[in-house]
Amino acid sequence: MSALAARWRRWRFHLSALALIVPLGFAPGYFRQLSLEDGSVGLGERTIGVQRLGRWKATLAEFAVGPPVVEGPAGPIKTFSLALESVAVDDVKAAYLKIGRPRSIRSAGALFEGAPYRQTAGVAVPADANGDSEVWLTLEGWDGSIEQASLPLSEASPSTAAWLAARAK
Amino acid sequence: MAKNGSSSRRLWFVAHSWIGLPIWAFLFFVCLTGTIATVSQEIMWLADPATRANPPSDDARPLGYDDVMAAVEQQRPGARLRELTQPVKPQFALIVEAVTPDGEQQTYYVNPYDGTIQGEQSWFDFRQFIRALHGWLLTPFNGGYAIGWYAVSALSIPLMGSLVTGIVIHKKFWRLYRNPRLRISKGARVFWGDLHRLVAVWSLPFIAIISVTAMWFLAEAILYANNVTVAATPPPAVLARDAVPTVERGEAPPEVSIDAAIAAIKEKHPDFSPGFIKVPETAYGHVTVYGRGAYPLIYEEAKVDPYSNEVARSRMVSDRTALEFVTESMRPLHVGDFAGLWLKLVYFLFGLMLTGMVLSGMLIWMKRTASATRAVIRDVTVPRPFPEPAE
Repeated sequence: MSALAARWRRWRFHLSALALIVPLGFAPGYFRQLSLEDGSVGLGERTIGVQRLGRWKATLAEFAVGPPVVEGPAGPIKTFSLALESVAVDDVKAAYLKIGRPRSIRSAGALFEGAPYRQTAGVAVPADANGDSEVWLTLEGWDGSIEQASLPLSEASPSTAAWLAARAK
Repeated sequence: MAKNGSSSRRLWFVAHSWIGLPIWAFLFFVCLTGTIATVSQEIMWLADPATRANPPSDDARPLGYDDVMAAVEQQRPGARLRELTQPVKPQFALIVEAVTPDGEQQTYYVNPYDGTIQGEQSWFDFRQFIRALHGWLLTPFNGGYAIGWYAVSALSIPLMGSLVTGIVIHKKFWRLYRNPRLRISKGARVFWGDLHRLVAVWSLPFIAIISVTAMWFLAEAILYANNVTVAATPPPAVLARDAVPTVERGEAPPEVSIDAAIAAIKEKHPDFSPGFIKVPETAYGHVTVYGRGAYPLIYEEAKVDPYSNEVARSRMVSDRTALEFVTESMRPLHVGDFAGLWLKLVYFLFGLMLTGMVLSGMLIWMKRTASATRAVIRDVTVPRPFPEPAE
């Protein structure tokens, strides 16, 4: 038996130590995800821009750049984040986001959750959505007033629009 | 050891060796990080004075949660509270998660007696990190359980295998309780073998608990991936539109009172002791309070309408089905955080023992294999047709 083979026979049992490369390799992504979640890198990975709705202002962002994530039976979900600005912080009761035009306040879409400075909403991607769909932001005031704004999905999330275009083919 | 040389016992013995050996380094890492994770909170307590709760005087009494919230907001103007953790042990400061106007989530350690923010958590959360390292090797969760979660929880199978084969090999293991044997002067191989067996018999129940609960973690992930849920989780509770008040423009929106919410829960469930409080995530949400009642293994949960201060929904121990009772006890059984510091230290000690068993198991094998290999090399005297190249 060669020395090399003997060494292999002896050391092959320590090969599982290579599993430790896994956390080492994933550590940068782990810390990136944490700083995304706690807001230290900003509202989201990609800021869409300031939206003006009547007397209110809010900044919308893609929480993470990329296509929607399929979460169990809920289907594909795309997460956006929102920061209410100045008077909207205290005036706005609820913010909603929907792909497609809402028919009423009761179907305004996903409700943003979190502090007014930084809230997130997982928006369901409907089966009939396509690359030309629009995203509708609805703000509801504590006084009952409602303001809406819309923007093209391709502007709100180019990756989602591309994903939908590919799905249509 | 080989007094009884029956072939079936030998087979079990080979199985016992082979179950652990190929994965020993990975298993060692998971056992070690898990052991550290059991006392991660205590390590932070030792390392960072801000996490400790020091009463300003002997007769000081803890503030109500609303006063704590007001104090935090006074010290960090505009900060919005999201969560508040009341540690089980009174020596720990309250942990308050809040979002500041710049949109960053901050974790504050707050003195429960005067509401002083004693410190802020830095970007590195040791407790969270060591849990993620142990539980899923830092791999990401993307719409399902992380791949590392499967890899780690699958170790429960060889761990249980080692336990079962070990018992079969040493059918009379209970003798070791009365006649412990640890031979120090007969060489390293004998010493490690004795230590391995001695530690094993004493930690049998612990190994069984850890492997069974970890098997549940594996099952849980597989069930989730196949859209099977064990617990009858109700859909998220949302207040009806007309349950949320409207205020005149320019008037302040209604304020949420955590103390009133807890008082409402305690009126219905006097045993309830709050441990973790979440303020409403939206204007249509509830104050959610988690806590432990008489049965420490299960977290009870109650949701309170913040406008009427009525308990809208609760999940107490008595509301659980028998199956939920078992499955929801798994995590506390695995981590040992349900009875106080003494139990954590017991878990830590047994964790060290289990980690040591992985190491000693490997050492025993290496010493045996090394001598066996040497014997093989010595026995080879047949001349080879070609000389081996020199290294």
